[in-house]
Amino acid sequence: MPEHDTNLLEGLGERSQSYWQKAWQRFRRHPFARWAGGVLLLLYLLALFADFVGPYPEAKSFRHLQFAPPTTVHFKTEDGRWTRPYVCKVERTRDLRTFKLEFKEDCSTHYPIYFFVHGYPYKFLGFIPTDLHLFGGPWLVNEEAYLFLWGTDDFGRDLFSRIWFGGRISLTIGILAVTVAIFLGVFFGGVSGYFAGQRMHLVRGIFRSPFKRRGFSEGRGGADDGFFAGGALARGWREAVRDRRLPLYVAGLVLQYGLWLGGIYLIGLTMYGFLAISEGMERFVAALIFGAVLLYMAWQLFFGAVTIDVDDLIMRTTEILAAIPSLFLLIILSGMMAQYDLPSSMRFLLVLTILAFVGWGGLARNIRGFVLQLREMEYAHAAKALGASDARTLFRHIIPGTLGYLIVVASLAIPGYILAESALSFLGLGIQDPSSSWGLLLSKAQQGGIAAMRDRPWLLFFPGFFIFVSILAYNYLGDALRDALDPRAEQR
Amino acid sequence: MTAYIVRRLLHLIPTFLGATFLAFLVIQLAPGDFLTRLELDPSYNTEQIDNLRRIYGLDQPFMVQYAKWLSGLMKGYLGVSLSYQTDVWTVLKPRILNSMVLVGLAVIFVYVVAVPIGIYSALRQYSWGDRILTSLAFFGLAVPNFFFALLMLYFALWLKDVFGHEIFPIGGMRSLYIDGVDFFSAPKWRQWLDVLWHAILPVIVVGTADTAGLTRVMRTQMLETKMQDYVRTARAKGLSERVVVYKHILRNAIIPIVATIGFLLPGLIGGAGLVEVVMGWPGLTPMLLEALFSIDVYIIMGITAISVILLMVGNLVSDLLLAWVDPRIRYS
Repeated sequence: MPEHDTNLLEGLGERSQSYWQKAWQRFRRHPFARWAGGVLLLLYLLALFADFVGPYPEAKSFRHLQFAPPTTVHFKTEDGRWTRPYVCKVERTRDLRTFKLEFKEDCSTHYPIYFFVHGYPYKFLGFIPTDLHLFGGPWLVNEEAYLFLWGTDDFGRDLFSRIWFGGRISLTIGILAVTVAIFLGVFFGGVSGYFAGQRMHLVRGIFRSPFKRRGFSEGRGGADDGFFAGGALARGWREAVRDRRLPLYVAGLVLQYGLWLGGIYLIGLTMYGFLAISEGMERFVAALIFGAVLLYMAWQLFFGAVTIDVDDLIMRTTEILAAIPSLFLLIILSGMMAQYDLPSSMRFLLVLTILAFVGWGGLARNIRGFVLQLREMEYAHAAKALGASDARTLFRHIIPGTLGYLIVVASLAIPGYILAESALSFLGLGIQDPSSSWGLLLSKAQQGGIAAMRDRPWLLFFPGFFIFVSILAYNYLGDALRDALDPRAEQR
Repeated sequence: MTAYIVRRLLHLIPTFLGATFLAFLVIQLAPGDFLTRLELDPSYNTEQIDNLRRIYGLDQPFMVQYAKWLSGLMKGYLGVSLSYQTDVWTVLKPRILNSMVLVGLAVIFVYVVAVPIGIYSALRQYSWGDRILTSLAFFGLAVPNFFFALLMLYFALWLKDVFGHEIFPIGGMRSLYIDGVDFFSAPKWRQWLDVLWHAILPVIVVGTADTAGLTRVMRTQMLETKMQDYVRTARAKGLSERVVVYKHILRNAIIPIVATIGFLLPGLIGGAGLVEVVMGWPGLTPMLLEALFSIDVYIIMGITAISVILLMVGNLVSDLLLAWVDPRIRYS
């Protein structure tokens, strides 16, 4: 008896908390997640201010200084006194005995590094013209000496600057591709889940099937009688008249017949071409198969009616996408498109589209599962009962219920997309010169044979490190977000 | 159960047709075809090229090409490779075997390493060993395998500099000579030993991400099972800790992991992917890349078809395995 009383009193003194407050509490339990968030924020800022942080423009190249090692920054003068950091002039010479290229420092003149200096002009955020840089000096623009903090690549471009420019692409393409994939996934998954179990006409037969008995109808004075009036077409017409949605019905009809006739035409064409180039047994079997398919389609057009579940259609599509190993699908798609000569902005969009196209299927399947559950909730039924349209019920009442899940999915999926982009660029199928991305920069490491890597390790370590760090940070963040937001995790 | 299997198998047919058709469609996106670059070659005139185009059937509409390819597939014929001028299967077979060697070894590596680590981590949760292994797993998941492969090559180069000879080979799958004898005339066991030696680094690279993933799954599974009532009952009735861990916890925790074995099947040929490219392992992915750039249609289609079949069969096997190990799951 007293037990019940204490239970009732429990929690009275506490402030009630919203879903997001509780989520934030759960999020804070992960010590690394906030660090990861901080690291990512820093990386995004550095990428945003790439022009300011990097002393050189993205495509500025010094042909005579390719594969120059990182420039040494001196803090002490020759006699050991501390001084403002400075660099020396570096010259490339060829050793006349070994024929190896060597970079020699010539410290007769010191080139001091200043902070917040004027340098190469650029447009901040694409429209504010300025020439302010984080560090550099007048000697840098005059090309008296060079400052390559992390060395140069095969065109003699400053790796330090290019890392930040590359970060713009590598870090944003993941987010953008996930966004597009989520939109596609939400749309198709939502529609698929919401309309699961409702059948839609793919084609309506024109006439009544000769195998159907006459007068097999719901009465109405033999309205279904007759060769024509008994077909699915006429029945659909009567339903459309009853529900007052004739224009929609006619539009759907045109689409249905158009697609179906187009299909028949294509298959007929294929049959014609195939039979022309084959012979013997193959020809005979092919004629049988093609003939059967064509007959079936024609029969359905005239006498039958093909209905299909939208849910079925979408899920079969995602199954087809999932049936090709995603790495192969990715490289086949981008391998084919990489053969076009596209400007770099187009290529960025292309890679983004390919990533989203390969990735939306899995999302759609998961969201469908959620929608299947949520559409049976009282509030969804209430919305329907109050007269909300299907679209409104789905997108205003059901989909918002998946928001927490979507955030988790997005943050867990982004590292995969970053990885995919860098892999594609690494293979030369993604972003291409003169643009830069971390994968592309990393691919320079193995240029000129594996053994050459020994002479220029900076091309290996820096881009690889940044890919690694950003993926690691997103993984930590995603893990914490999953614990914080996933409704299923709450029960534990 | 039989009805279920038959239904699933029938279900595979449209999926297979759709997937291969999609791949065929994607190949049509490329500018021109295999013969387009011959047009720039002065040793071919237009007539010859048209002739070749007719011989290879590249003048047909793509629907017809696809139907022709499909009809060949029914007879077990994958078509002809345009750049190798021979049967696709002859070209692909050695590549598939090479990939399988690499991935097969990696799979063994993954299970041998990941399962014990997962068990250890779960039984000693929040110990220092667990902490270190868990964060290592996080690192393993985050490192891109092509970057890791490059690091390993750099490591091998460094070892070579330090010791003066190759401790680990720098890329490739076999040495040119074994003890001064040509590779292919050396005794069989020496050949295998040489391939194994070459496989050490790639196997570590290919296996790392999966090891990390599997360790985490194994750990969570063990932790979840540890909390079950039947485990408490087992302890309460006085069973030894050994029996509780291995017979009650482990056997139940490992169920989802058994199911993943089916997913290994498609991985057998495509799983090593970029690592093969970076480390010069003559597997399937380098072949695919090569075929992409020359638009060697039937090589691409052959690789796609084989991997699609393996993937679908792998999923089916996974589901069946799951039902087999876990009597609670029933397919009607």
